[in-house]
Amino acid sequence: MKKTLVLIVCAVFAITMALTGCSTASTSDTTAESSAPAESSAAESSAPAESAAAESSAPAESAAADDTASDTTAASDSDITVVVMPKLIGIPYFNASETGAKKCAEDYGFNLIYTGPTEADATQQVKMIEDFIAQGVDAIAIAPNDPAGITPTLKKATDAGIAVIDWDTAAEKDAVLYSVHQIDDQEYGESVWGAVLEGMGDATDYAILTGGLEAANLNGWIDYGEAYKEENYPDKVLVQDKIPTNESQQEAYSKTLDLMKAYPDVKGIICMSTPTVPGAGQALQELGLQNELTVIGSGMPNDSAPYLKDGSVTASYLWDVENLGYLAAYVAYMCATDQPLEDNLTIDAFDSPIQIKEDGKTVILGAPLIITGENVDDYDY
Amino acid sequence: MNWFKKNPKEAAMLIVCVAIFIIMAILSPDVFLTSNNISSMMFQIPEFGILALGMMVVILTGGINLSLTFVASVSGIIMALVMRDMGAAGYDPAGCIIAALLLGFAMAMGLGLLNGFLVAKMQVSPILATLGTSMLYEGIGLNLTEGSAISISQFADNFGMIGNGQVGVIPISMFIFIGIAIFAYFLFERTPWGVRLHMLGSNPIAVNYSGINVGKMLFQVYLISALFCFLATLIMTARYNSMKVDYGNSYMMQAILATVMGGTSINGGYGKVGGTVLAVITIQLLSSGLNIFGMNRFFVDMVMGAILIGVLAINFVYGKVQSHNLLKSARAS
Repeated sequence: MKKTLVLIVCAVFAITMALTGCSTASTSDTTAESSAPAESSAAESSAPAESAAAESSAPAESAAADDTASDTTAASDSDITVVVMPKLIGIPYFNASETGAKKCAEDYGFNLIYTGPTEADATQQVKMIEDFIAQGVDAIAIAPNDPAGITPTLKKATDAGIAVIDWDTAAEKDAVLYSVHQIDDQEYGESVWGAVLEGMGDATDYAILTGGLEAANLNGWIDYGEAYKEENYPDKVLVQDKIPTNESQQEAYSKTLDLMKAYPDVKGIICMSTPTVPGAGQALQELGLQNELTVIGSGMPNDSAPYLKDGSVTASYLWDVENLGYLAAYVAYMCATDQPLEDNLTIDAFDSPIQIKEDGKTVILGAPLIITGENVDDYDY
Repeated sequence: MNWFKKNPKEAAMLIVCVAIFIIMAILSPDVFLTSNNISSMMFQIPEFGILALGMMVVILTGGINLSLTFVASVSGIIMALVMRDMGAAGYDPAGCIIAALLLGFAMAMGLGLLNGFLVAKMQVSPILATLGTSMLYEGIGLNLTEGSAISISQFADNFGMIGNGQVGVIPISMFIFIGIAIFAYFLFERTPWGVRLHMLGSNPIAVNYSGINVGKMLFQVYLISALFCFLATLIMTARYNSMKVDYGNSYMMQAILATVMGGTSINGGYGKVGGTVLAVITIQLLSSGLNIFGMNRFFVDMVMGAILIGVLAINFVYGKVQSHNLLKSARAS
């Protein structure tokens, strides 16, 4: 009998740990502020119960936690629940989009669940989506780690009456109602190429660093940019085929050093994919070529800040990641409430209207955000 | 009561599992207890459960298989490639599926053989051997797919049913898992081979001197592990209608977690299939339940860690109590 008692005490202890974790965490994921104090008091009241006898503590705990659960639901302003799922959580990029999505939920008063796997694994996203289907949420906005693998699950969600959209990365077209893109690929390619080729002045030689030869979005930008160059700057010369860097800053750094050794006349470098920007900046900084070249790419502000400030990198053309999260949550909310989206849609939080492409599905966040040494500190991601 | 005394580790797991189920059910009866949610959880259990059993059989010998998920994904990639290309060439769907199953199985066996060869014949320590092969297999998978997913959506209505079909509320994949768990139970715990397996884990030298061919045993163990990988990837490929080299990557550590949580000794020699299955169910209950509460995934990881430590603590305390009692009874007599 003694052994059984020991077992029960231990089990209850383990469960209490689980529950304490539970009540702290829900604070971070709900939009309701008022639930926070109620929760902490609930968590406190369960604490003394721990030390009490094993048999009596179990019901006391569950009652306390039960209050917690009902608090969170009661404090919400609306019955609409929107899930925004990034590729993974805990990286600056998707933390910034979380801020935006939360702001949207506050502005329009719906429940937001912003959560995703801790690793960029498609199977984990599938699992989580299935849980949300079972839970019966109203809309899901997903940034798929892998478009093909997630399609059956998205279809399941649609069959269950959930509005499904994608954001950041496109899912398969048939699987979603809307597709929120951070940028119009053509506009992005043309503006980056235009800025670099213009910035080079009379010099003719330029080069392209890319994350990988297979990345569809990067190749799209490069194709649009090169087509733009053929038309508008026919005298400029691409010295070498686009240079793959395996999505690694280290590799971008060494490839840039090689490039500058082989082609010292290069005056423009286009950096596609985020790690290439600080990589190229690091190399040019080391070579003492600040302000000598025009270097533009899709660099994350925090990573590229030192190089933007000393002139190794001219500018970073990106998009406002916070606004991207905002827009994803907004579109999902509109779908959940059956409100149609129109072209040139104005959203109070944004400066410029939102465009929708001719296919009626692709929602574009807007023109690229230009980050330079002066404004880089305004963006924390 | 007798079963509890005989299997203290599994009993602890059972108590934790039931307790978590009850707590989740009390906290959100309107969501957690719905047939929708139960069926969604049953869809999620099989692929992970089978991989955990594939890990368990290796851990029973005192080894570890770090290439588990890549054996699964590479053989899944072979299946998906065969189905996609044969399907595109206009072969009969049934023919494509059979060819894919055979080739995928052959691939899994081949990868398992290499693991077995390194551990049994070359006497490389399992952790190093499988770490090496995991990188090798990942590279093979990346080369075959160039990092992208191989989609076989045209097979959604036939092959896809293995992963997405259901009979009533119970998924077809769940039946496969139950079948495999029963098979594993009899193989590991009710056959002479199973006895040798456990002995091998507790004392390989003694096993060697008792006339058992240790090398052959290890070969078989890594082949069985690969077989389980194949069965898991069969369900995964069908469920996602595609295969990619990093599908299921995150199951790697979770499989070790489930095995150890289920009472299997990490040094080998002790472990029950029932314990591993209970641990898998517990992890699923927690993961789905906490997700329903909208809990941040990092806290989910924390809670999983806390539960693992809790279960290990229970086992430790129970072991102490037991040896104390033994000592007392020995003194008394």
